[in-house]
Amino acid sequence: MKRVIELNINGDSHEVLVAPNNTLLEVLRDKLGLMGTKRGCDLGACGACTVLINGEAYLSCVMLAVDAGGKDIMTIEGLAEGGDLHPLQSAFVEKGGLQCGFCTPGMILTAKSILDEEEHPTAEVIKRKMAGNLCRCTGYKKIVEAVMSVNESNEDAGRPEGQEA
Amino acid sequence: MRLPKFEYFEPKDLKEAVSILQNEPAAKILAGGTDLLVNMKHKVECPPTVVNLKGIDGLADRIQDNGAVRIGALTTLKRLYVTPVISEKLPGLAEAAAAVGSYHHQVMGTLAGNICQQNRCKFFNQSQWWRSSKPICYKAGGEICHVMNKKEICYSSYCGDVAPALLVLNARLVLSGPGGSREIALADFFSGDGKTPLNLKPAEILTEVVIPAEALEGISSYTKFANRDSIDFPILGTAFWASMENKQYRAAFTAVDRKPLRGQQIETCLDGKDLNEEVLDEACDLAAKAAQPVKTSVYSPSYKRRMMGVLLKEAVSQATRRAA
Repeated sequence: MKRVIELNINGDSHEVLVAPNNTLLEVLRDKLGLMGTKRGCDLGACGACTVLINGEAYLSCVMLAVDAGGKDIMTIEGLAEGGDLHPLQSAFVEKGGLQCGFCTPGMILTAKSILDEEEHPTAEVIKRKMAGNLCRCTGYKKIVEAVMSVNESNEDAGRPEGQEA
Repeated sequence: MRLPKFEYFEPKDLKEAVSILQNEPAAKILAGGTDLLVNMKHKVECPPTVVNLKGIDGLADRIQDNGAVRIGALTTLKRLYVTPVISEKLPGLAEAAAAVGSYHHQVMGTLAGNICQQNRCKFFNQSQWWRSSKPICYKAGGEICHVMNKKEICYSSYCGDVAPALLVLNARLVLSGPGGSREIALADFFSGDGKTPLNLKPAEILTEVVIPAEALEGISSYTKFANRDSIDFPILGTAFWASMENKQYRAAFTAVDRKPLRGQQIETCLDGKDLNEEVLDEACDLAAKAAQPVKTSVYSPSYKRRMMGVLLKEAVSQATRRAA
């Protein structure tokens, strides 16, 4: 039976009518038009659909929308503030961390969750935690370089405003 | 890929969850969802009802250390390996939790969900389209097992990472059902039947994992061999536990049989001895006899049997390094 749930996405509250078998990914893309979250394998194996739920990296294609009600959801659309790119977004542009760009939203959000949690993760930690985000273009080197550049240059990067390290 | 339709329940306490399961015997329990929802997308599991346990207090993110370690069923895999009592005193369990899928799966996936995951097989874990080229396999609702070409038997492999790490710790499970709670050894939880791999009574829910205090006195390790380190199920996983003072050892394997297995012959062979090269070689030769792998993945049974010894050696050396 369909039900109305409240989704808190990028700071905005949305009331949405969903069926229990709707995934969060379907609701984000097909009902709310938030196309930044990508449908890749749709089986929880590629990381393209990554969103942040209460700051942690979740795969929205294997999460029920009804299960996301009441939680803080961040999609790639919520990252840039007032038209200014987030440092991670700028770093991906500057370091060439993307080619086709399909994996980029998932990559950036996973990287954000890592940098938010740990002050200066090593490249090894970043590689291990981002290993579930697949990229078929770059060969990963420039992605890791982009994340590392943010990690090194600004220890507050990646953290929401006002949140302590 | 759409999920099939189902009735959805979010019980607020265990009693409510049990009564829903009593009314809906074919219901499936949802925890992290990383196994169940994928199988549902593949239409190999189409439960009429899904019961989400995440609204129940006390099941999630609970790790109590009172000598024995008691872990709430819905504690996430990530929480397991970042908690000091696990990462410091039970490193084998931490390694196994950190070896599951990708980081995302560790954030979402739960301890009980990992233990209760479906068995796997190259003929079962496929899309509906892929599977349509053959008659439906026995596990997915048909009549025949394509691995062994036999009727009404399923040879799918149990591929969980965490179960072998818990087996060597002699872990116990608390199951709550209509008649109250009962505690069983983890080893008795697995049926060895590929079609229904778990010994759960009707309307029973796994609510807690208990690791006895004695297990914390030893050292443990888990080694995994997979196609890709980053996201794959194990082709083979080996857990090892040792009490160096008492010269007692335990070994367990995953992905080699219809259930995770203890290596009884290996343990008898090592018992009371120092772990030198000669003894280890003997034990590793025995490893191949501990299980009867079949070709449920792209790897041949003989390759898996040989790798069991190789991986056991690696797990032992990891544990002994830790002890030193």
